Amino acid sequence: MIVSKKEIPSFLDKLISDYQVFAPVQKGSYTLFKQICSGTDAVLDGGITKLPVKEIFFPQSEKLFSYNVTNEGAKLEAPVDDRKKVVFGVRPCDARSLTLLDNVFNNDKYQDPYYLTRRNNTILVGIGCNSPASTCFCTSVNGGPFDTKGLDLLLVDTGDAYVVEPVSDKGKELAEKAGFAAASDADKAAAAKVKEEAVVSCRVNTDGLKAKLDVNFYDPIWDRIHEKCLGCGACTYLCPTCHCFDIVDDAVDCNGCRVRNWDSCAFPLFTLHGSGHNPRSTNKERYRNRIMHKFKYFVDNFNEIACVGCGRCIKNCPVNMDIRVVLEDIRGSEARLDS
Amino acid sequence: MKNPYLPLPMKLVKNFTETEDKLIHTFTLQYLSEEDEKSFSYMPGQFAEVCVFGKGEAPFGIASSPTEPGFLKFSVAKVGVVSTALHLMEEGTIVGVRGPLGNYYPVEEFKGKNVVIIGGGFAFTTLRSLATYMLHPDRRGDYGDITVIYGARNPGLLLYKEELAAWEKSPDINLITTIDRAVDGWTGRVGFIPAVTEEVAPSSDNAYAIICGPPVMIKFTMPVLEKLGFPPERIIMSLENRMKCGIGMCGRCNVGGKYVCKDGPVFTRAQLNELPNEY
Amino acid sequence: MRMQKLAAQIKDAAKKLLEEKKVDLVVGFAEGSLPLRGTPLFARTPEEADKLTWNRGCENNLANYLRKREGKVAVVAKGCDVRSIVALVKENQINRDNLYIIGVPCSGMIDRKKVNQLVGGKDVLEIEDNGDTVVIKGKDFSETARVADLLHNSCQDCRYGNPVVYDELIGELLPEKGEDDFAEIKEFEAKTAAERRAYLAEEFSKCIRCYACRNACPMCYCEECFVDCSTPQWIGKSAADIQDNILFQAVRVFHSAGRCADCGACERACPMGINLRLLTRKLVKDVKELFNAEAGVNMEDKAALATFTADDPEPFLVKE
Repeated sequence: MIVSKKEIPSFLDKLISDYQVFAPVQKGSYTLFKQICSGTDAVLDGGITKLPVKEIFFPQSEKLFSYNVTNEGAKLEAPVDDRKKVVFGVRPCDARSLTLLDNVFNNDKYQDPYYLTRRNNTILVGIGCNSPASTCFCTSVNGGPFDTKGLDLLLVDTGDAYVVEPVSDKGKELAEKAGFAAASDADKAAAAKVKEEAVVSCRVNTDGLKAKLDVNFYDPIWDRIHEKCLGCGACTYLCPTCHCFDIVDDAVDCNGCRVRNWDSCAFPLFTLHGSGHNPRSTNKERYRNRIMHKFKYFVDNFNEIACVGCGRCIKNCPVNMDIRVVLEDIRGSEARLDS
Repeated sequence: MKNPYLPLPMKLVKNFTETEDKLIHTFTLQYLSEEDEKSFSYMPGQFAEVCVFGKGEAPFGIASSPTEPGFLKFSVAKVGVVSTALHLMEEGTIVGVRGPLGNYYPVEEFKGKNVVIIGGGFAFTTLRSLATYMLHPDRRGDYGDITVIYGARNPGLLLYKEELAAWEKSPDINLITTIDRAVDGWTGRVGFIPAVTEEVAPSSDNAYAIICGPPVMIKFTMPVLEKLGFPPERIIMSLENRMKCGIGMCGRCNVGGKYVCKDGPVFTRAQLNELPNEY
Repeated sequence: MRMQKLAAQIKDAAKKLLEEKKVDLVVGFAEGSLPLRGTPLFARTPEEADKLTWNRGCENNLANYLRKREGKVAVVAKGCDVRSIVALVKENQINRDNLYIIGVPCSGMIDRKKVNQLVGGKDVLEIEDNGDTVVIKGKDFSETARVADLLHNSCQDCRYGNPVVYDELIGELLPEKGEDDFAEIKEFEAKTAAERRAYLAEEFSKCIRCYACRNACPMCYCEECFVDCSTPQWIGKSAADIQDNILFQAVRVFHSAGRCADCGACERACPMGINLRLLTRKLVKDVKELFNAEAGVNMEDKAALATFTADDPEPFLVKE
């Protein structure tokens, strides 16, 4: 199937009557996923959004439930959001990140109804990356500029039009309902050519990385590698796979709500015990945990690296802490086996 | 989909000052209905997030035993926002309880074995649950000898004095209590847990050791247990880390790749030997 | 090339210090991983010092890494770094006797956000520094721009590119600039309260409470920041509350009044592009006007809000 770029706003407008539609919109010098009221608000050629798509499913701040408590009992109301959504213009790395987060929010024992309900009610329409940025390294972490994992539909930008490739049944249904024209052989060839020419030039070698992390927890490399890190939360908040959160009460006396907010393993408070003891008391332990979590613990638990190579942390770190360099340094370090 | 974030409202029926220094209170919470009680089926060693509405929630080990129907007990030290609010709470107030969470002491494995319970200070809470569970007349026959070594800085800081008095007299359990320094009127032992454990020298034959207490106590008791011949697979510990969600999602309580809330809090020494010491 | 020459001189100075064991550590900049980006480097051996460099992307304020250090440390410091160092010495956070300042006169650092804006967000692969101009290169574009137009706002406003204190100077002192006119602050002050409120609300709607601003600030070193305090909880933690976001920044800014060297580290660190210097500079301006004081411009003056005189004309001090 194929849809011309000119038709996209009216296609989105039609979707808006049946779904909450989210798309990248311009905010100052960058784009963010926002719910759009008009198809013309969508900015589809702006590269990846500043914040990852996770914020639609796992908002930075979210009410878990409200409560009204007396001595007779408690009235609790949990607003689980089950509105039908379409996220339009999601990049393959972000879509992949959701499939990683699914492991966390639907783990071996518990389901998170807030995240999962949104996931189950959302159709993800992706746009492949014709010209991946120099900070992109998706192909090094099992992704790719036209990777369809997590997507329902993939659009391939062929210049004036998008060639529409259904990925899931949900996506196929959406495309059929939209009545997109059939793609000609020439269109398909154009899409194939675009895919072929989209090269992710940055390659991060992860060979042997996991084996190294399996044994290097006490390696002296950790004494140095974190040194310039400021311990802020920028990389974690901008990371599509970071999922840590805090739960707080926002209340006056016994009426209020329980809220969850994004939190970061970079912050000392994150692990501080009531006694004052802190199992990750310095930046060294905290930075090590971030790397270990993504490249060892997540792999141990879910058999996947918790990094999709989007490059947001690289572009936004205030001190140019570059995860590609960090991984290379770790891989190149002499592992100490005596721990 | 069950919402794991929603607490069960329960009534605080007793706010009891457990220790002489008044820093530990034991809270007895009553279910509001029979269905609520049925929905909360737990085992010794599990914990729950207790919430004071308006202040927040905090994780506490369950001190009551599933063999004690009708209520839950938590012994809580006054350290943070939630525990302080709990301490000040009037009886009759509604609180929230979310759980039961985490795994539990492997009571099935203990069957036919001798059990040595070693506790220090106010870390005795889930150990009380465990001892009470095993001592229940329906279950006592399942286990061999039950030995409890329990110590505190001074007699006033020992928890559960009523139970301790009853256990002292019971033929079903061998209770050894100890305090750090001698005081008038104390008839138990005097000395730190590691030394007393060495003196008592419980046999490791066909036995499990369960140990909870402050880090320094654990550190010095561990070599004693090893000397007594307890293999790491039969030394059981319960970890505490800062927690929020209790369901393995919020990311803070991990020790290596394991979440204390979901994969613990109960681990064998052998399991912990494989993990970094971030607890 | 001025920059390459400076880089070589820095390297030599650092190596010498390490070789002669005059210091245990040199904090400076290495070549970063992005075009024209310096990244903080901690060199403990002459070999490590070989990685030191100097370019238009050495934008971080290295004073941030110097608090409560053990041993003898040398730092490669531009004008703003030195002002923060001076302020921190006065607050007993840095022991001047254990710090060796390799001062580098600085004519400003390039703002990558401005570069990105100039090329319409296209992927920049290389920035060639030609002195007064740079050539910005990408996959299929190349654009020449004046360095002066691309400097960080804080650098354009800066009057202290020359280090006010140093143990060794690299390169030559730059000509003095005229007085700072605080034009954009005056413009903001002239707006109505409603306009100012609306502007701040819009800016702080972007805040994600990552605290990069706080952590990048050399003067933000409270052991427990008020935003992290839980008893009492002074401020809501949710980024969704714009008022709380403004409150966070307002308190942070007030706390650095008279201490802030206007280095712009907070604004550079902000991943969301919030105009943070509007607030920090408002206080810099106020302190200048009220007390005729600037933070960290010499070793002698006490910080404006950390001192008083008995004959202070302020009525609140003399009246009952």
